[in-house]
Amino acid sequence: MTIEKFLESSVSGWMDPRGEDSDIVMSTRIRLARNLRGYRFPLSFTENEAHQVDQLVTAALVDSAEKVGTTFSSIPMEKTTTLDRQILVEKHLISPNLAKGQIPGSVLLSEDEGISVMVNEEDHIRIQCLFPGLQLEEAYEQADTIDRIFEKELPYAFDEEFGYLTSCPTNTGTGLRASVMMHLPALTMTNQMGRIIQAIMRVGMVVRGIYGEGSEALGNVYQVSNQTTLGKTEEEILEDLQSITEQIIQKEREARETLLHSEQPVLADTLYRSLGVLTYARIISTDEAAKCLSDVRLGIDLGIITGVDVSILNECMIFMQPGFIQKYAGNSLQPNERDVFRAKMIRERLTIENKTTTKGEKPHDV
Amino acid sequence: MICENCKQRPAKVTVTQVVNGEQVNRHYCEVCAQNLHPFHVEAAHQDPLAIHQLLQNWFNVPTQESTQRAQSDQPLKCDTCDWTFRQFLNKGKFGCADCYDSFRKQLPGVFKRLHNGNTKHVGKTPGGFERVIELKKQIESLRAQMQEAVAEENFEEAATLRDEARMLEEQLKNGADSA
Ligand SMILES: [Zn+2]
Ligand SMILES: [Zn+2]
Repeated sequence: MTIEKFLESSVSGWMDPRGEDSDIVMSTRIRLARNLRGYRFPLSFTENEAHQVDQLVTAALVDSAEKVGTTFSSIPMEKTTTLDRQILVEKHLISPNLAKGQIPGSVLLSEDEGISVMVNEEDHIRIQCLFPGLQLEEAYEQADTIDRIFEKELPYAFDEEFGYLTSCPTNTGTGLRASVMMHLPALTMTNQMGRIIQAIMRVGMVVRGIYGEGSEALGNVYQVSNQTTLGKTEEEILEDLQSITEQIIQKEREARETLLHSEQPVLADTLYRSLGVLTYARIISTDEAAKCLSDVRLGIDLGIITGVDVSILNECMIFMQPGFIQKYAGNSLQPNERDVFRAKMIRERLTIENKTTTKGEKPHDV
Repeated sequence: MICENCKQRPAKVTVTQVVNGEQVNRHYCEVCAQNLHPFHVEAAHQDPLAIHQLLQNWFNVPTQESTQRAQSDQPLKCDTCDWTFRQFLNKGKFGCADCYDSFRKQLPGVFKRLHNGNTKHVGKTPGGFERVIELKKQIESLRAQMQEAVAEENFEEAATLRDEARMLEEQLKNGADSA
């Protein structure tokens, strides 16, 4: 079954840490919302309409996939277990809404998981492109390529006045949501995030924590995205987000400099203690793990901690989530058993690190 | 180092403050740091589910008078999906693409609030759509010319213009169906 490939590994192509500012910007995401003319939106259509839309969209993309230089696997939600759906959510490949499976829908995934097209989420089509680091233009170009494939094959719901017609009025117009996922530990430690979030919101962008339930920013990972989709061109939306992102990067770098120069021993102590927790803890909650992973990643970025791979934060943040833990454990775990299993997995991940690195210390007995 | 505030837990967070023009570093434990310098993401978090509440607050201020009127008048409704304008406001979502047409007059007011004062799309258009707009314009102009010809009792020309317009309408219909 094709889905297994996407579930086995917690590492996706977009996590590969490379490129400018990839120490702060973990990934870039572009999402385009589109609907077909002649079919009601998923919130009001019939099951029959749902199946028709699913077939049309899937066929259109699968038939022209060679134009994008990849193949797509279609994963119908109806044939996917609840746990497997949860894992796809944890990997950011589908939304929690699609995972509910209340409407017959599916996801089309590219080989490297960089492109995912959700069918019958809130809209008939949701094109999503994920790129590592800050690559707004590149990600948009790819989403645009997919969009043009669809528009050749299928009639889009479009209006001269309102643009692309979407289920939610907050997406009307371009249907474009561009977002960057940023690791901002120094701004958080120096208590500047509150002020910065206020400033970002004032210029029409949205900031939210992306891990964890509710609104807390687990692991100091934030997502910044555009709020306005109407009355701005795609280029303007991307330029505005790029400019805001660059300013936040600048502020985070300044905060890191300040920390590095004024708080060296305290800072190094805090960061190394977190590495200690990850290396030796036998029970660890999601919250604690997220905090420690953020510290270790900061330590690596600042050159304080060596011998640990930078991708550790990206990867562990994914595989320490409940769905993955469950999948790896192979049976249902109670919440307290999950904390034990999580600690074990993180320890193992760090041990692999120590064995493969030449600079690192001897493997610890863990 | 021990937390300056509770003097119990180890200090893990350093807070730099400017007091009387001088930088002061305070060392707190995580618990105290959180309490003394609460960091709220809540304010920034925009739950899409909250939109329907916003919409309701803006438009759905039910005074007795308006409720009575709504009952006597035919409610504003989309024929394709059967959703009323009120339902749209309650759910914060459209039922289908035709809702946009059904509620066209009301929508600029909604969009103004959601999109920073903007009400019109200026971005990309799907390929082929430009041709549709072009065709519509041509048809409109042919019809205007036809009416002029009729007014001038130039019926032969009017008939030619009508046929041309019909041909383009046919094209528009076929193009739209097979797009
Ligand atoms: Zn304290
Ligand atoms: Zn409708």
